[in-house]
Amino acid sequence: MSFGEFLTSNLTEFWQLTGFYNATWQHFVMIAVGLFFIWLAIKKDFEPMLLVPIGFGILIGNIPFNTEAGLEIGIYEQGSVLNILYNGVSAGWYPPLIFLGIGAMTDFSALIANPKLMLIGASAQFGIFGAYMVALLLGFAPDQAGAIAIIGGADGPTAIFLSSKLAPNLMGAIAVSAYSYMALVPVIQPPIMRLFTTKKERLIKMKPARAVTQNEKIIFPIVGLLLTCFVVPSGIPLLGMLFFGNLLRECGVTTRLAKTASNALTDIVTILLGMTVGASTQASEFLTTETIGIFALGFMAFIIASTSGVLFVKLFNLFLPKSKKINPLIGNAGVSAVPMSARISNNLGLEYDPSNYLLMHAMGPNVAGVIGSAVAAGVLLGFLA
Amino acid sequence: MKKYLIMLLVLVMAAANAQAQGRKSLRINEVMVQNDSGYVDDYGRYSAWIELFNSNFAPVEISSIFISNDPENVKKYPVPLGDVLTRIPKRQHVIFWADGNPSRGTFHTNITFTPGQENWIGIFDADGSLIDEITIPANLLPGQSYARKIDGEGAIGDPEAWEIRTGEMGNTVTPSSANVLRETNKKVEMFAEQDENGFGMAVIAMCIVFSALLLLSVCFYIISKIGAKVTRRNKAASHGIDLKEVEKSDRPNHDTGEEIAAIAMALHDHLDAHDRENTVLTINKVKRAYSPWNSKIYNMRDMPRH
Repeated sequence: MSFGEFLTSNLTEFWQLTGFYNATWQHFVMIAVGLFFIWLAIKKDFEPMLLVPIGFGILIGNIPFNTEAGLEIGIYEQGSVLNILYNGVSAGWYPPLIFLGIGAMTDFSALIANPKLMLIGASAQFGIFGAYMVALLLGFAPDQAGAIAIIGGADGPTAIFLSSKLAPNLMGAIAVSAYSYMALVPVIQPPIMRLFTTKKERLIKMKPARAVTQNEKIIFPIVGLLLTCFVVPSGIPLLGMLFFGNLLRECGVTTRLAKTASNALTDIVTILLGMTVGASTQASEFLTTETIGIFALGFMAFIIASTSGVLFVKLFNLFLPKSKKINPLIGNAGVSAVPMSARISNNLGLEYDPSNYLLMHAMGPNVAGVIGSAVAAGVLLGFLA
Repeated sequence: MKKYLIMLLVLVMAAANAQAQGRKSLRINEVMVQNDSGYVDDYGRYSAWIELFNSNFAPVEISSIFISNDPENVKKYPVPLGDVLTRIPKRQHVIFWADGNPSRGTFHTNITFTPGQENWIGIFDADGSLIDEITIPANLLPGQSYARKIDGEGAIGDPEAWEIRTGEMGNTVTPSSANVLRETNKKVEMFAEQDENGFGMAVIAMCIVFSALLLLSVCFYIISKIGAKVTRRNKAASHGIDLKEVEKSDRPNHDTGEEIAAIAMALHDHLDAHDRENTVLTINKVKRAYSPWNSKIYNMRDMPRH
C-alpha cells in the first residue's frame, strides 16, 4: 500500500465516522427540536431549569455517529458514560431523589391549614385516567396506556418513574412530552380557566389560611406517608422520599440535610435527569408515529386535568356555605406542576381583582396534586406492573 | 443504659430474623429421581437432581442450610460456605445434584434417591428448623420429574400443589428454569380483556386516589382541631384565665390583613409613627459567581526566579 492509499483509506474511514456522513433528516429534526427547547427556555423563560438540560441533551443524543463502530459513546450502548448516567432514569432512581428535594422545598402549610383542598388535587388526576381511556382507544396496550396517561399528572419525575417500569421503550417520548407540557402550563391553562368560570366566580375572595403550628408541620409528613403508603404501597419510592424530604425540612434539627436535599442534590439530579432524558431521544428511537400519539395524548391529558380541577371546585362550591366558597381559579393547580400552576391561579386572580391574591390558596391543591399524582402512579404500577 | 442495650438486642434479633425470613422463602421446586437422558451435570453425567427456588423478590444466601432425604438426620448435606454461587437472585432457581458425591463441588450432595419407592426430601435452616419438604411419589418413571404446578406456590409439603411432569409437550421437565413460562404480563392481559375501554381502571383508580387524599384530609382536619384545643388549653393554663375567655380572644372581630396593612400605611404616612431606624443597617449579601477557574491569577505560572 502506497502512502497516498494509506492516507486516503484512513481519511475515508474517518469520514465514515463523522456526523456528516451518518446524518439523516431525522437527526436534523431532533436537533431543531433541541434548539427550540433551548430557545423557549432562554428567550421565553419557560421552565429553563428543565428545558435547557433537556434541550441540550437532545443535541447530545442526536449527534449522528456510526453506531456499529463500537465507540461506546451512545446513551444506549452499555458501559458508555451516557449509559451509566442514564441508569438513574432507566432504573428509576433519579425521580425519587427529585421527590426528596421537592419534599424538602415544599411548605405544606396551605394544605394543612385547609385540608379540604386536598380533594382538588385528587380531582385533577382525572386527566390521567381520561388519557388512559383514550390511549386504549388508540390501540396502546394497558401498560403503555398507563405510562402515557401519567403525563396528565403534570409531574415529570413521576412520569419518568412510571414509564421506566411500565413502558421503557416509550420513556423518552413520555418524559419529553411531560416536561414540554409542564413548561407550557402558562399557555395551556389560562384559556381553560377562563372558559369554565364566570366573572363572578373569578372574583371570589377566600379567607386567609390560618397559621399552622410547627407540630402540625412535623406530623404531616409522618401521617401523610403512613396513610398514603398503607393505601398504595407501590407509591413508596416517590411518596416515601417526598415526605422524608419534608420531614427533614420541618423537624428543625436537620437543616443541613434539608438544605442539601433541596439545593445541591436536587440541582445535581435535575441536571443529570434533564440531560439524559434529552439524550435518550435519539432520532431513530424517538421519531415514530407513537411519539406523535404520545404528544397528542399528553396534551389532552393536561386539558382534562386542568378542566376537571376547575369543574370540581365549582361542584364543591355547591355544598359550601357562602363565606367558605373556593375560587375556581385555583382548580387548575390540582395538577402537580409546582409552583407554576399555582402562580397561574394567582396571576389570573389578580387580573380580575388586583387585591385578590390566590397564591397561597392555590399552593394547597398544587402540593396535593404532587401527592395525588404519586398515588395515581402507585395505583397504575400496582395494577399493571 | 440498660434500656438502650435492650433496644439494641431487639434490633439485632430483628436483623437476624430478617435473614431467616429470606431463607424461609426458599422452596423445593422440582425433583427428578431417575435422570437417564435429560439434564447433564458439569461432569457430563446424568444424575438425579433437586431444584430449589427463591420465591422472594430479594436475593437469598443459602450457604449453611441443610438438604436431607433422611428425617432422622436433617443435617445430612450442609451447603458449604464460601461459594459465590450460593447466593440465589430474586425469583431464580438453583440445581443440586443427588449423586451421592459431595467431593465434586458445592452443588453435588451426598444424597441419593431410591427409584420405585417414595422419597422424602427436606431443606432446613442453619438452626435445624424446617424450610420446606416434599414426599416424591413412588410411581415416578425415568425422565419424569415431580414439580410444583406454579413456581414457589403452595403450602409446605402439600401434594396438591405438585404434579408429575412427563416431559411431553405442555408438560415439560424444566430443570433450572421456571415451571410455568410466562410470556406476557397476566395483569395487563386481564385489563386488556376485562376493561377494554379503561372505564373500570378509571373508576377504581380515582376511588383510590380520592380515598387516600380524603383520608389524609380528614386526618388533618382532626389533628388541627385537636391542636387548636391543646393550644387554647395551654394558653388558658399559662395565663390563668378561663378557657371561654381564650376562645373569645382567638375569635377575629376585625379586619382583614389588607385592612391592617392600610391602617399601618396611613399611620406611617400621616403621623410619621414608625420606629427610629437611623442606626439600623441592612446589608444585602451580593453574590459574585467566583470560582478559582475564572480567576486569571490561577492561569498564570509563577515567574521564574533567576
